[in-house]
Amino acid sequence: MIRYIFMLLQKRLWITLLFTVSISAVALGQTDRLTTVEMEVLPGLQFSVVRFTVKPGERVKLVLNNTDDMSHNLIITLPGTREKVVEMANKLGESGPAAGYVPKTSDVLWTIPVTAPEKANELVFKAPEKEGVYPYVCTYPGHGTIMFGAMYVSKSGKMPELTKDLNIPESRRGDKVDGDAEHPGHAHEKPAPLHPYTPVPPYHYRVFIDGASPAAIAVALPNEVSYCWDAGTSYLRFAWGGGFLDNSDLWKGKGNAAANVVGSVFFRSKTGFPIRIGEEKPSEIVYKGYQLKKRYLEFHYQVDGTDVYELIHEATDGTGLERIFRIPEVTDPVTFYTSSDEGVTYAASAGVWKGGALQLTADQARSFTITMKKIGK
Amino acid sequence: MERFFLAVLLGLLMAACSTRPEPGEAYIVENIEMPEGLTSQVGALEFLPNGKLIAGFTRGEVMTYDTTTKEWHLFAEGLHDPLGIHVVSNDEILVMQLPELTRLKDTDGDGTADLYEKVTDAFGVTGNYHEFNYGPEIDSKGDFYIALNSSSSGGTMRDEVRGTINLEGRDGETGNRQMFSTVPYRGWVMKLTKDGVLHPVAAGFRSPNGIVVDNEDNVFVTDNQGDWVGTSPLFHVEPGKFYGHPGSLVWTKGWNRGNPFRLPLDTLDSMRTRPAICFPHGILANSPSQPVFDRTGGKFGPFEGQLFIGEMNRERIVRVMLEKVNGKFQGACIPFLDSLGLRKGNNRLVFAPDGSLWVGQNAHGWLGDVGIQRIVFTGKQPVDVYTMKLTTDGFQLTFTQPMQDTAALNPENYLFSRYYYLYHHNYGSPQQDLEKIPVTAVKLSDDKKTVTLQLASLTPGYVYELNLGNIPSKWGQPLRNSLVCYTLNELLNN
Repeated sequence: MIRYIFMLLQKRLWITLLFTVSISAVALGQTDRLTTVEMEVLPGLQFSVVRFTVKPGERVKLVLNNTDDMSHNLIITLPGTREKVVEMANKLGESGPAAGYVPKTSDVLWTIPVTAPEKANELVFKAPEKEGVYPYVCTYPGHGTIMFGAMYVSKSGKMPELTKDLNIPESRRGDKVDGDAEHPGHAHEKPAPLHPYTPVPPYHYRVFIDGASPAAIAVALPNEVSYCWDAGTSYLRFAWGGGFLDNSDLWKGKGNAAANVVGSVFFRSKTGFPIRIGEEKPSEIVYKGYQLKKRYLEFHYQVDGTDVYELIHEATDGTGLERIFRIPEVTDPVTFYTSSDEGVTYAASAGVWKGGALQLTADQARSFTITMKKIGK
Repeated sequence: MERFFLAVLLGLLMAACSTRPEPGEAYIVENIEMPEGLTSQVGALEFLPNGKLIAGFTRGEVMTYDTTTKEWHLFAEGLHDPLGIHVVSNDEILVMQLPELTRLKDTDGDGTADLYEKVTDAFGVTGNYHEFNYGPEIDSKGDFYIALNSSSSGGTMRDEVRGTINLEGRDGETGNRQMFSTVPYRGWVMKLTKDGVLHPVAAGFRSPNGIVVDNEDNVFVTDNQGDWVGTSPLFHVEPGKFYGHPGSLVWTKGWNRGNPFRLPLDTLDSMRTRPAICFPHGILANSPSQPVFDRTGGKFGPFEGQLFIGEMNRERIVRVMLEKVNGKFQGACIPFLDSLGLRKGNNRLVFAPDGSLWVGQNAHGWLGDVGIQRIVFTGKQPVDVYTMKLTTDGFQLTFTQPMQDTAALNPENYLFSRYYYLYHHNYGSPQQDLEKIPVTAVKLSDDKKTVTLQLASLTPGYVYELNLGNIPSKWGQPLRNSLVCYTLNELLNN
């Protein structure tokens, strides 16, 4: 079974992009056209529109809407001079900021000045009469070698095949959009390894994931069972079968995303924190950490100062979890609460069930196991 | 021919007077081979007592590297973006990750951590991608400092957060336009005392991706240019002070002034403490990272006691020369090393036991490279500015070597300009009031190492940028760096 789905997203993004590149030509009469190019900035220092085509002499409106969190400019240069212009911009050194990082050279045709994040600037110009490939580039320090694109000025409007277009960054010639070199370019290629080792369950990640606090711990177990234990609340939040996580969103770019569950959730806690020691509702639950026991996680937390240890295994048959509890110093009876709408049946190694609550004597509570099984097949 | 003889004669004379340093590059950059399959975005970099390197990576791995056998070994996994390590022993470290500061310990001696123990999680997390945490850095008392990013306006709060929510910590009027602090202590520097309690120290940080403590327990923190940060700074962080980014103020004890973004700009400006060092944006550094003190005792060259700071956006390590004026830190920054094979994304720095400087690189969706490199001092003495100090009417530059006197005495070889950066909610600031300041007198010390420059004027609140002309050393070797920027907050009182 696939425990990771990785490359689909890239493919999807690229396709989306192909259809959202906003270039519109408006006929303003017989000969006078205005082509508008809406340029945004993608993560990883990339112009959203990596190439476009205009007719010689046509009027062009280029809008730079800086959707990035860094400042950028945009300079259109004469054909073949992009690298030279970038180098000259780098050499501006301490005079760069005052010059807007634009070098003084006739190779620079038009400029959109430094544009702060969430700001926009536009430029209207008349395309050159001479056909050719006119590069555009951000000359902000460090950006010039990767952040560029190509304006094709031609009567035919033809551009080379994307994969063979040497006028755009290499990372943009495939179906990738974020320039993330370690991601595979095609879905049929062998996925790039996620780690310098092959993760074998049990293993875990601390991740941002829906359905838990930001201090979640996701664990992959054998039998294709996975669970999310929440260090922010100190209890088991949900469990699923059929896969683990797809972290490709999370690990791409800045990580402005969450881990995605692969498979289907069969358990979701409705009870909240399930343990009560003695009669009173616990007033303070403190997460302490976890220890790996033969690579299985044993969580440690305190309920009003009493240490509780919870080791979670996969159930030996069917889809489910085995939760092995230890409360070594407990002197009061313990109640473990469940709810009938959590998607699982409960069984316990000790104690008495009363209306969905497991009642344990202090002696029983020192060590007991709760088994949760997915309801139905 | 005649000139040749003269040169030989001069050379012999010089050799007779003092030793001519060996020409050649003072520093070389070496690449470290990374393990196959690792996405080498380096978040943490330290050395263990046994001499092995230990590194944390974005996808949660902590690995050790034997510098002799060049073998990598997995120590721990599954962490949430580890961005700082403190080494306790060969088998125990503290790791700063997004949700907590965690102790990792190998309790059974198999070379792999099996205990992942919470040290502190007494701060909020909204699940915003920008909630990076930095440190821990230890002081002489054994207390730890950590720094918590503000949350990004480019991201959101997740439905379920950790910590008490206070929406006054974000700019409501313009929505998500500015970094925010809606759960406790985002945008603060914190101190963890030995009793396990995490104390707020100082507010006002945006993205403090670098923290260091000096031998006198002074805490220094870098921040990143952006909203409220005109250009990237280095702050000397003192308890109770405010360093400029407003959102975090809501977590000040007893705060009753409502949404800090609503306070008048003048008020915020009067509350804030200025940077000890401004790194002029686009000139010195755009995204400074971890500062480290050179405590190598000369193994890394002549800059013992000075700070080295990584720069993310270009192939550069920056050097900082601090001094105390009227009891306050200020000083100069200078490129230490440009290019020479160094990559971008210089995020984490650590000195190895042999005195080489190891650099861990990271892009994390911004500009940068990945991997680890090592900067080695070749033993060939660099010709460089050793210190830049304020005088009553100008600056005093001391070079690492005696300089050629005609060049060193020529005022045209010292071009000063000065400017400042605005404090405002906008993203960064252009240089303000940019003006050239003439040098009115130059003196050279008897040992030809120190020049004293008198300036036509000195105004506090400005960065003084100095561009050095062609001033070779006494032996004709060129200066490595010709640009140095002094942040003038305080004038010397006469």
